[in-house]
Amino acid sequence: MKKLLVGLLAALSLGMAQKTLVFGSNGEPVSLEPGNITDGISIYVQHQIYDTLVDFKPGTTEPVPGLAESWESNKEATVWTFRLRRGVRFHDGTELTAEAVKFNVERWWDPKNPTRIDAAARYEIWPYLFGGSKGEEGSILKEIQVVDKYTIRFVLSKPFPAFPAAIGSGYFGIASPTAIKKDGAKYGSPTGSAIGTGPFRLVEWRPGDQIVLERNPNFWKPGLPKVDRLVFKVIKDPAARLAALKAGTIDFTTDIPPSNLRDLEADPNLDAVFRPSFNVGYLALNPSHKPLADKRVRQAIAMAINKKAIVQAFWGRLGVTDGHFTPPSMKAFQSPKVTDYEFNPQKAKALLAQAGYPNGFDLELWYMPVSRPYFPTPKEIAEAMAADLSAIGIRVKLQTKDWASYLADRKKSPGFQAYMLGWNGDYGDPQNFYDPHFLGPIADLFDPQGKNLVIPELNELLVKGATTPGKEREAIYQRVDELTFDLALRVPIVHSQPLLAKRKNVTGWTPSPLGSESFEAVDKR
Amino acid sequence: MGAYFLKRLLGLIPVLLGITLLVFLFLQLIPGDPAEALLGERASAEEIAKLREKLGLNKPLYVQYLTFLGNVLRGDLGTSAVSTIPVAEELKRRWPATFELALAATALAVLLGIPIGILAALRRNTLWDTLSMSFSLVGVSMPVFWLGLLLVYLFAVNLHWLPTGGRLSTDLSIDFQPLTGFLLLDGLLAGKPHVTWDALRHLVLPAITLGTIPLAIITRITRSAMLEVLSQDYVRTARAKGLAERQVILKHALRNALLPVVTIVGLQFGTLLGGAILTETIFSWPGIGSYIYEGILNRDYPVVQAGVLVVATSFVLINLIVDLSYALLDPRIQYR
Repeated sequence: MKKLLVGLLAALSLGMAQKTLVFGSNGEPVSLEPGNITDGISIYVQHQIYDTLVDFKPGTTEPVPGLAESWESNKEATVWTFRLRRGVRFHDGTELTAEAVKFNVERWWDPKNPTRIDAAARYEIWPYLFGGSKGEEGSILKEIQVVDKYTIRFVLSKPFPAFPAAIGSGYFGIASPTAIKKDGAKYGSPTGSAIGTGPFRLVEWRPGDQIVLERNPNFWKPGLPKVDRLVFKVIKDPAARLAALKAGTIDFTTDIPPSNLRDLEADPNLDAVFRPSFNVGYLALNPSHKPLADKRVRQAIAMAINKKAIVQAFWGRLGVTDGHFTPPSMKAFQSPKVTDYEFNPQKAKALLAQAGYPNGFDLELWYMPVSRPYFPTPKEIAEAMAADLSAIGIRVKLQTKDWASYLADRKKSPGFQAYMLGWNGDYGDPQNFYDPHFLGPIADLFDPQGKNLVIPELNELLVKGATTPGKEREAIYQRVDELTFDLALRVPIVHSQPLLAKRKNVTGWTPSPLGSESFEAVDKR
Repeated sequence: MGAYFLKRLLGLIPVLLGITLLVFLFLQLIPGDPAEALLGERASAEEIAKLREKLGLNKPLYVQYLTFLGNVLRGDLGTSAVSTIPVAEELKRRWPATFELALAATALAVLLGIPIGILAALRRNTLWDTLSMSFSLVGVSMPVFWLGLLLVYLFAVNLHWLPTGGRLSTDLSIDFQPLTGFLLLDGLLAGKPHVTWDALRHLVLPAITLGTIPLAIITRITRSAMLEVLSQDYVRTARAKGLAERQVILKHALRNALLPVVTIVGLQFGTLLGGAILTETIFSWPGIGSYIYEGILNRDYPVVQAGVLVVATSFVLINLIVDLSYALLDPRIQYR
């Protein structure tokens, strides 16, 4: 009898066995409070707990309804009205309303907001993307209006056609005002809660170890999520993470070094997965170094580097090279007249001679000491570029320093002579790519006098592009594409497709170019 | 002995003060701005300036240092600039993980190293001796990272005998609430021996990885210490008295040979407490070593200062215990 009972219990528990999906995370989140983080891991976890007003079609940067069912703007794109979905509840049972959305946005926008968790002073992503905080002159947001219980209106100080894409970024998950008020300074930390409307609820965050989430039974998308439990396991070392994937300790992961592609393809239990490219890895050429002040010299450098060979060697199928600063997904904003710099060392040498450097010159080329999604193996790539440049007489000295200093010192006049860096887009709009890099005064490029670089023609175009709604924008940015190509201040080396991996029994995972996505549709057979 | 103990304890204070001062100064010497490191590629000049102000980085150095000391005396070890979690809390959480691993590695090194060392000394210049000394050399020369990954790939990925990393299997770790943080103990305390077993399985590879170098060193030291003791007159006397060989070796020779060995064991254990960074990285072991290391990379000053202080304190305390144990081992040693 006892045996029968035990057997029954065992069978029952097997049937009720929870389906647990384990994600290998390459680091630890900084915080689970929306609007107060910029690191990719925090956003990834937040993407499971929260929803944003605007979502994106899986695998693309195309806006689709999220918590907002629909939105519209006036003709000038200065007033945006969002209609919220009804009947959506936060994990704590409270209802999603326009007031709740206003509560969230005000925390990000208004430095004087009393519910801000002030310890880390990191609410910088809103002012960064939206021109400034409340009260600052550059702030694009002017006023938030609650039209009715489920309708919210944003009044802007200037046209911002990309507003829905920007506010739909993973930084801006909508959290429960009740929970934030209750938890105070602990909200979003391992000792506090994190309450959203998303497919998964936070169960426990053990720092350095793992984050456990469970399915939200009241999720507003029917039939989702597919699994009962989701665990973010922190395994920082890429080799250790790959080993864990092979052994089955984790089910899927990101940030696999490109050199492991063959290994993944050879392993019968694993699949290689590609995240659509949304980045650019470039070589910046600083006019503060005398030879580089001449456009012809910069163009010569662009023509001397065998970009195709380098990308093929270091990225294989995982990267493309072209002459556009923006990634291939932004085709609409790219000029058809721009393809790529011609790889022609002879012509390059001739250009150099024309500019007055028939015997080349000395150049310091800085590469970063850490692996980035756009440059996974920076040193080797730098060496390849240096070899190409030496073929036209440029004597390259490779330099590096630790990452924190690298980022800081490139902005100290006169900056680095030539350096590698990159950019992963925040949202699907060319403004997000161009403005931080070409809108003067440019922070990390300097003119021969040591002042931050300003290119008036480019500035004019960029300001126009940011504020002109509709189809006209495309023409403006195409012109920007042509201009930046000609100036060769930042030579695009690669648009990389980050390599991700999963076990074969994992289905439904569509990585987003934006860097993170919800795992609501991911299942495990 | 009591007076000696107190004297030594008091002597800790200037040592620790010196260490904190050194760490503080070295941190300042490292180039790179903590605020910029925190904010990353996107940082603008105003944002960096604001954060610097917030973190108190613009105050004169001596003010920053004295503020830190004052806080420590009140038990406040500061707050991580990156995670905003109080450092004391994080160290308290990670301490059992580090201690358990260091203990396991040292136990492995001692339980294997001392017998092998004794045998090597007894069978001096035989094959056994040569083999064990060669292994010792290999062990101390092997890169820890390489060894760790090798073990993972062999035993975890290919043979599936042991796990790839972490302290507990994912399923167990979700529901199990540890009491003390020492998982081997906690499993038993909670009446869940399968948790202890799981934790033990997770401990094997990291302990081997971390313990290989101490094992090599302890083997060598035991051997040389034994050799020296075995040539002493009193050993000859003991043998002449007709005592069983086992008694001679274990009761008389070993006890005196242990003095240098105990010193080394203590030093090794102290080092492992703070220096297991590579092992912690490969096995995703949430310990103090990786915590401090990340702190350095992130220019997270509070974490590094407090972390190093804690590690240094434990190291110095362990040394004290080692010194005191001498009196137990050798009655000739007296403390004044």
